Amino acid sequence: MALCSSARRSAILATHLPTYDFLLPCLLPRITHQNRHLSRSRRLYSAENDGAFANTSAKPLRAPKSAPEAASNPVPRNKPLTQAQRDFLASALRVNQAGELAACLIYAAQTPVVVVAHPHLRPLMKHMYDQEAGHFSTFNKLIAKHRVRPTAMYPVWKVAASALGWGTAIMGREAAMACTEAVETEIGTHYNDQVRWLLDMAEQMERSGEELGDDLKELIITVRRIRDEELEHLDHAVENDAQKAVPHELLTSFIRAGCRGAIWVSERV
Amino acid sequence: MVARTLLSRIRPLAARARLFSRTYHSYDHPPPPGPFSSTESSILSASLPHIPSHGFTLTSLSLGAKDAGYIDASTNLFPQGPFALVRYHLMTQRLGLAEKTDSLETAEGAKPMGTGAKVKKLTWERLMGNKEVVHRWQEALALMAQPSNVPTSLKELAALSDEIWFLSGDTSVDTSWYTKRASLSTIYAATELFMTTDKSPDYADTREFLDRRFRDVQIVGGAMGSVGQWVGFTASAGLNVLRSKGVRI
Repeated sequence: MALCSSARRSAILATHLPTYDFLLPCLLPRITHQNRHLSRSRRLYSAENDGAFANTSAKPLRAPKSAPEAASNPVPRNKPLTQAQRDFLASALRVNQAGELAACLIYAAQTPVVVVAHPHLRPLMKHMYDQEAGHFSTFNKLIAKHRVRPTAMYPVWKVAASALGWGTAIMGREAAMACTEAVETEIGTHYNDQVRWLLDMAEQMERSGEELGDDLKELIITVRRIRDEELEHLDHAVENDAQKAVPHELLTSFIRAGCRGAIWVSERV
Repeated sequence: MVARTLLSRIRPLAARARLFSRTYHSYDHPPPPGPFSSTESSILSASLPHIPSHGFTLTSLSLGAKDAGYIDASTNLFPQGPFALVRYHLMTQRLGLAEKTDSLETAEGAKPMGTGAKVKKLTWERLMGNKEVVHRWQEALALMAQPSNVPTSLKELAALSDEIWFLSGDTSVDTSWYTKRASLSTIYAATELFMTTDKSPDYADTREFLDRRFRDVQIVGGAMGSVGQWVGFTASAGLNVLRSKGVRI
């Protein structure tokens, strides 16, 4: 019954807004997440594969409203965002920027140490670093545009992230990959929560006949794209023997706890 | 248990931090309503012309209420009394800065102004916004310094320096976000105080004072930047030397 109603809900949502096609991971977050862990699908790292990935994720389920349809529902007057909504958006952008800063620094610190011992990992490390650098500049621009205060812990995260990256790289390739696995698992969950919140907000505004606005629509698409890329890094890490790190359970749970703490702090300060 | 007591201590801190934080600025949605309702705003804006002669006092407020067509007793709308007048002045002057950004555009072909020059220009524009009331400004400063009003005043000062940096097109979002706003707030507050005692024509002394403060900050900031750069360079060079010797770090 519950499953049926949730399926109906997603069907209704899908017909309302093109962006709802990625509600699926929100309805079934645990299942999809576990699948990612369990399925050892060898997704080869190649440019062709990347293109296919981007294609499927960017394709909306339903085309946007046709012109006459849009004309019959004139755009209603916009209301200001509520304090709760603005607070959420501000803290979300702030914590995302801090997270991407940390990710960039972790990869930057890991790369030289890992690459000396395992030259075949150079393209993978470069690919992951480049994506993180792209995310970082995306959030930098968004923060500046929407006048959000960056986190006050900026220098602390810089030192902590570099130390984490360097420390795990010294422990070996497996530990470095376990670090990536732990960080990207937390970040993926975190981005998923954000997407869910944003979609709830979109649904509420849709219901009360408000326009979501281009910035928020774009934000949803951006966060979703970045989440997919982060989870792709998680797959790469698992493919590269992350789970063979020696105290794997200890190492990942320590790093994940650290990530959660850092997210908690960055949302506030 | 310890964690809980710690949490309960942190929470008020976080609430206080929010006071100074800017929240999400939307371009698709109208801004949230300000602190004053339309009635209050009409009374306050009618009171502004009375400030040069009656100061930041209840007299100005009740004269303004009369001008706006309300009875004298409507000043009871403002539990903070004359501080509401100060706050309204600060707010309108701050929001008015956005209209003065035209002066930042240089003629076609000329070199565009740098961010620093824009900040200087806007700070000066804001100081000139106090020109009409500067002989009464010490009353306002006294009101702002009252303990119950200090949080609002500081928030307004932070909002002003944020506005100036934003309008100047600054997009830095690292630690310098904080240092820039803090230094501009200090400069502005000092210069504003200096201006209340300035008797020189066209506030030439204030202008010089402001230029000196900006120069000081540039020197200190430049020195800090150089030290940081040197430390970073030396550290990474040392690391690379060790790596070139085959040390696995």
